[in-house]
Amino acid sequence: MLRRTEMLALVVLLMAWAIATFGAEQVLRVLMPIGGGYTIEDQEALAKEFEQVYPGVKVEMEFVGWAELWNKIITSIGAGAAPDVMYIGSRWVPALADMGAIVPLDEYITEEKRAMYPQTIWDTVTYQGKTWGVVRAMSTKVFIYNKDLFAKHGLSVPTSWDELLQAAKTIHDPGSGVYGIAMCGKRFVSTVTQFQQYLYANGGRIVDEKGNVVINDAKAVRALEFYKELSKYAQPGITEWVREDLIKLFETGRVGMYIDHVHNAKRAMEKGVNVGFFLIPGGPDSDKPYGTCMVTDCVSITAQSKNRELAWKFVEYMTSFEKQAEWDLRMGFVPPMLKERDLPEFQTWYWKPYIEAIDYGYPEAVGIKDWEGTQDAILDAIQAVLLDQADAKTALDQAARIIAILQKK
Amino acid sequence: MKVLSRKSVTPYVLLVPLLVALGTLMVYPLYKVVENSFYEASFLAPFQREYVGLDNFRWLFSFKLFDPRWSYFVSALGRTLLWVTGSVAIKVIIGLLGALLLNNRLLAGKKFYRTLVIIPWAIPWAVGAMMWAWTFNSQFGIINSVLLRLHLVREPVPFLSQPTSAFLATMVVDVWAGLPFMFIMLLSGLQTIPETLYEAASIDGAGVGTRLFKITLPLLRPILLTVSLLSLIWTFNSFDIIWILTGGGPLRATETLPLAIYKTSFLYLRFGGIGKASAMTIAQVTLVTLLAVSYIRLLKRGSEQSWG
Repeated sequence: MLRRTEMLALVVLLMAWAIATFGAEQVLRVLMPIGGGYTIEDQEALAKEFEQVYPGVKVEMEFVGWAELWNKIITSIGAGAAPDVMYIGSRWVPALADMGAIVPLDEYITEEKRAMYPQTIWDTVTYQGKTWGVVRAMSTKVFIYNKDLFAKHGLSVPTSWDELLQAAKTIHDPGSGVYGIAMCGKRFVSTVTQFQQYLYANGGRIVDEKGNVVINDAKAVRALEFYKELSKYAQPGITEWVREDLIKLFETGRVGMYIDHVHNAKRAMEKGVNVGFFLIPGGPDSDKPYGTCMVTDCVSITAQSKNRELAWKFVEYMTSFEKQAEWDLRMGFVPPMLKERDLPEFQTWYWKPYIEAIDYGYPEAVGIKDWEGTQDAILDAIQAVLLDQADAKTALDQAARIIAILQKK
Repeated sequence: MKVLSRKSVTPYVLLVPLLVALGTLMVYPLYKVVENSFYEASFLAPFQREYVGLDNFRWLFSFKLFDPRWSYFVSALGRTLLWVTGSVAIKVIIGLLGALLLNNRLLAGKKFYRTLVIIPWAIPWAVGAMMWAWTFNSQFGIINSVLLRLHLVREPVPFLSQPTSAFLATMVVDVWAGLPFMFIMLLSGLQTIPETLYEAASIDGAGVGTRLFKITLPLLRPILLTVSLLSLIWTFNSFDIIWILTGGGPLRATETLPLAIYKTSFLYLRFGGIGKASAMTIAQVTLVTLLAVSYIRLLKRGSEQSWG
C-alpha cells in the first residue's frame, strides 16, 4: 500500500515539474529595484499585464533595494546568472557597456521610438556612439520653498545665487529650530546629485565633451564653495542627512527651502506646508538663467540574455506611451517623453517648473566611465569641505586626480 | 574480504551532509578567496583574470591614492583595530558589571531585567542600526530631545556628522548589539561558581573586592576568554551597523576593514577588484587568527601564574 502511494506521489511530482518547466513557453527574468517609491506590487502588476498581452510568457521579477542594486547587477553578471532585462541607473551605462554586460539597442529602436524623446534624454543612455537602454524614469529638480516663511520675511523668489544665499540667511533662526535651507552631506549618491545641481547650474562639469576631467576648474570650485557657504544656514550636522530624508524636515514647516522631487513637494502640501517652487538659479559663471542635473534610469538588455527579442518586447511594453505616462504620474517623475508633457495631468502648477527645468538640464553622468568610483571621489571632496578639512580647490584637485585615473583605464 | 557492516558505515554516512555543507559553505569559499588573492580579477572583466603572484599583497601597502601618508589597507586596518579594541573592551567591562549585578541576590526583579537585556539580540542588526540612526539624529532623535529639554545642550548634537563622534556613535551601537551575548554568557558563568566559596571567604573576612578578584574573576576566566575572543572576531567582521549608520563616513572615519574590502570589490572596479579584496581578506583573517592565538596564550599564561 505504501509503495503505491509513493509511486503516485512521484508521478504527481513529475507531472507538476513537467508542467512548470514546459507548460510556460518562455520565461523572461527581470531585475527591478524597490524602495524610494518603487514597490513590488507596481512591478508585479506590470509583469502580469505583459503576460496577458503575451500569453505563454512567464515574467519572473527579481527585486532588490536601490542601495544594493549595483552589487546585485555585477555579481549576477560575474556569476553568469544575469537576468534578461535590468532596470539600471543610466550613470552605470558606461561601466556595464565596458564590461560587456549589456547590449546596444540601436537595432531595436525605431525612428518613431527615437522621436518620442528629446535628444538630451537619449544622451543619458548613449556611450561610444551607441544606445544602451531606454529611459524609464527621469528627474529634474527645482527648489521647493515654504511660502509662509518667505512671506514672513518679505522675501521674493531668488533668481541668483546671491539672492538664494540671502534668503537662506534671512530665514535661518537655529535658536527657534528654523533653518534657511535643508541640505545633505551623507556618504550616498544623492549627496553627489545635490551638489551637481549647483555644479551644473554654474556651468561646471565633472568631465568635458572631450572626456577631460574638469571637476576642479574654477566653476566647480565656486559651486562647492557655494555649497559650503549655504550649509551655514542649513540644519546642523548635514553630513548625517541624505536627500531622501530631508522631506521629513521640510514637512515640519521649519525649513525655508530645499531641492527635491515633485512627489515630495506634494507630500509636504498634504502635511499643510504652503509650498512654492522656483528653478535653481544659474550660478555667476553660467550663461544660463537656471540649471539642473538630469538623472535618468533606464531598462537594458543583458548580454547573457538568451531571448533578446522577447526582452525587447518587454522593454518596449514597459516604455510604451501609456505605460510610461501611468508610471510617471503614479511615481511623481518628470515625463521623459515629449507627448507626455501635453497630458492635462502634467499641466498642473506643481509639474510645470519640473518640466520647464528640462530645458536647462544637463545629464548626470555623461562621459563618466566609472560612476561608483567617481561618486566616491566627489563625496570625499564634498565632505572634506563641509567638515572644514580642506578648501574646495584642494578637495576637488584630489577628486580630479582620482577621476582622471578612472577615466583612463 | 572484510565486509563493511552497516554499523561501521552508518556514522560516516550520517556525517556526509555536514561535510558537504561545510565544504560548500566554508571550505570552498575560503579556497576561492585564497586563490583569487593571487589573480588580477575584477567585475569589469568577470570572466577574465590574470595571475599576478604576490602583487595584490604588495598593493595592500603601496596603494596610497586617498591618503599619501598611509595605504588604503593600512588606514582601514588602523581604524579597525581602534574600533574593535574600544568596542570589545566596553562590551566585556559592561557585560561583566551587568552580569554581576544580575547575579546579585539583593537585586529585585531579576527576571524582568534579564528579559530586557536580551531585546537587542531579538532585533535584526540592520533594523537596530536604522533605529539608532534616527535615535542619534540631530532633529528627530530622542537623545537630542532629552539633552535639549534638560538644557544640557543649547543646540542639537549631530552625533553622526563629525568624524570623531560618528566613530564613537557606531561603537556605541555595536556595543548595544553585542551586550546581550556578554550578559547571558557571563551570567551563566557566574551561576556555576559555588556559593560555598563566597561563604567561606566571607567567614575568613574577605571583602567584596577580595571575593571579586580572588574568586569570581579567576573562576570566570575561561568564559571571559571565550566570550571576549568571540566578540573580537565578530566585531572585527562587523559591517552592517557601520554601513547603515554612516556608510563609512564622514570622511572615511568609520571605514573599517570590512567596509574597505566591500568597496574594493564592488565600487573600486578600476583600481580595486576581487583579487585585491581577496588579498585584504586574507590579511584580515591572518591578523585575527594571530590576535586570537596571542590572546589565548596570554590569558592562559596569566591563569597558570595566578594558580601557581
